[in-house]
Amino acid sequence: MNSNVEEMNDFFTKKRFKLTLLIVILGAAYIGASMGLGFQSHSLLNIQDGIAWLIQNFIPNEASKGYWHEIVQQLLRTFLVAVAATSCAAVISLFLAVIGAKTLTPAITISWVIRGFSSLLRNIPIVAWAMILLFSFKQNDLTGFLALFFMTLGFLTRAFMETIEDFGTEKIQALQATGATYLQVIFQGLLPEIAVALMSWILYMIENNVRDATLVGLLTGTGVGFIFNLYFKSLRYGAAGLVVLSVIILVVTVELISNLIGRLLS
Amino acid sequence: MLTVNHLAKSYDGEKKSLTDVSFSVHPGEVTVIIGPSGAGKTTILRSINQLIRDDDGEILFDDTDMRQLNRSQLRRARCRIGMIFQNYNLIEPLTAIENVLHGCLGTKSNLAGIFSLYSNREKETALKLLEKVGLKDFAYQQCRNLSGGQKQRVGIARALMQHPKIILCDEPIASLDPKSTITVMDILRDLAINDGISVLINLHQVDIAREYADHVIGINNGQVVFDDRTQALSDAAITGIYQKGAVPERSLVHEF
Ligand SMILES: Nc1ncnc2c1ncn2[C@@H]1O[C@H](COP(=O)(O)OP(=O)(O)OP(=O)(O)O)[C@@H](O)[C@H]1O
Ligand SMILES: [Mg+2]
Repeated sequence: MNSNVEEMNDFFTKKRFKLTLLIVILGAAYIGASMGLGFQSHSLLNIQDGIAWLIQNFIPNEASKGYWHEIVQQLLRTFLVAVAATSCAAVISLFLAVIGAKTLTPAITISWVIRGFSSLLRNIPIVAWAMILLFSFKQNDLTGFLALFFMTLGFLTRAFMETIEDFGTEKIQALQATGATYLQVIFQGLLPEIAVALMSWILYMIENNVRDATLVGLLTGTGVGFIFNLYFKSLRYGAAGLVVLSVIILVVTVELISNLIGRLLS
Repeated sequence: MLTVNHLAKSYDGEKKSLTDVSFSVHPGEVTVIIGPSGAGKTTILRSINQLIRDDDGEILFDDTDMRQLNRSQLRRARCRIGMIFQNYNLIEPLTAIENVLHGCLGTKSNLAGIFSLYSNREKETALKLLEKVGLKDFAYQQCRNLSGGQKQRVGIARALMQHPKIILCDEPIASLDPKSTITVMDILRDLAINDGISVLINLHQVDIAREYADHVIGINNGQVVFDDRTQALSDAAITGIYQKGAVPERSLVHEF
């Protein structure tokens, strides 16, 4: 009995030691990194001054109202680029996921190739994609579209592949047992079963891409990211604030709509 | 009609799941396979329509060896072999009638199958089959809203849509309540008697086997240890089938 309690005390002592160690390591990492950057910790204490400046300058005023028209136009562009990239990638992802899923793949090597390809696409950050593509496609909407497209293609292929594998082989075999062909099994069996799951991945990705498209626009010089940059650099802070506000409204709206569609589907 | 000869299968290349299984199934009869868990019942059933590729032996369905067929020949042969499952394996978001119509996919072209282009005759047949299993009023219900017993009856209708010569049933009543069990077993027996279909059923319930089977096959440890008419299934024979390490009674094997 006693030895059991001792054993348990030992166990908790070790756990506490590990936690302390973790905190010490994180603290040391922060101090090391700030020294490397010449970052002054005490400037964090002036954070309220920063906020005050932000409120004074970035709150849209009477003058910035004149920019509404242009902002809405660019916002729409950004939104459309995100939707186009997501839907285009979704169709191709579905195809890749079907022939890549272990339960349906025609050959296991195809599955490995698609798995590798999709994690490659996914693991290149969106900003790196945009920079790479800038070399060949210059600053325009196509560059932004392609950056979002490749990242989404990698992400959705993986997500769809996992959805298909979770679906299992039993029902697939049940249809094969009737003499159904590969394509018939996919269209009559697989797709009806996973349609709702696919749709929620696509909606999630649209939400995500609307946010990312804004950032990518900063680099590719298009859409709402571009005009933010423009207003900001020409010191039109009120208008830039209006851009930020409009982006927030768009993102929240897209999320609300996507939740609504998700609820209607299930 | 269906004769299995010297069937052998190992999943990992080492441990034998089936060793030299031979038996025959006759038209218009209910044949029940019983045996302890892990004996190889599912493996036998899935080898018949080649959902599992076995290692050795012969599966003669209408005098052609299922094991020798190429892809399209296999597809055509599968059209005449219905199959129902413990977990029903219906496409749950689709309606009962759509699931029944899946039974004729094997006879349709790729495109017609993909776009659900069924002929009026096929649609009529599907409705009649749903009526036959007592589910006419549920034709347009999503299968996910049906009870277990109803799902299994949709499964049977799907198998019948294939105009099968034989129906393979892998523990069709294992997830059902007693009343649905009787409904489903009665339907299966009627198919043998009235439509001359061979019905081959894996079961765990010996009492049900005794009541419904014409012919019983006992499997233990990948081997046939009993193969006879149901009348010959004595209590001693049952104990033998479920015994650990039962040995085949050579006199009984190949009797049919
Ligand atoms: N996919 C598989 N991979 C490896 N081994 C398997 C596989 N399926 C079955 N086995 C093995 O083959 C043997 C026979 O299994 P099978 O499923 O045919 O038994 P069963 O008689 O249907 O059992 P139960 O009554 O529990 O359904 C078992 O020892 C099992 O472990
Ligand atoms: Mg089994």
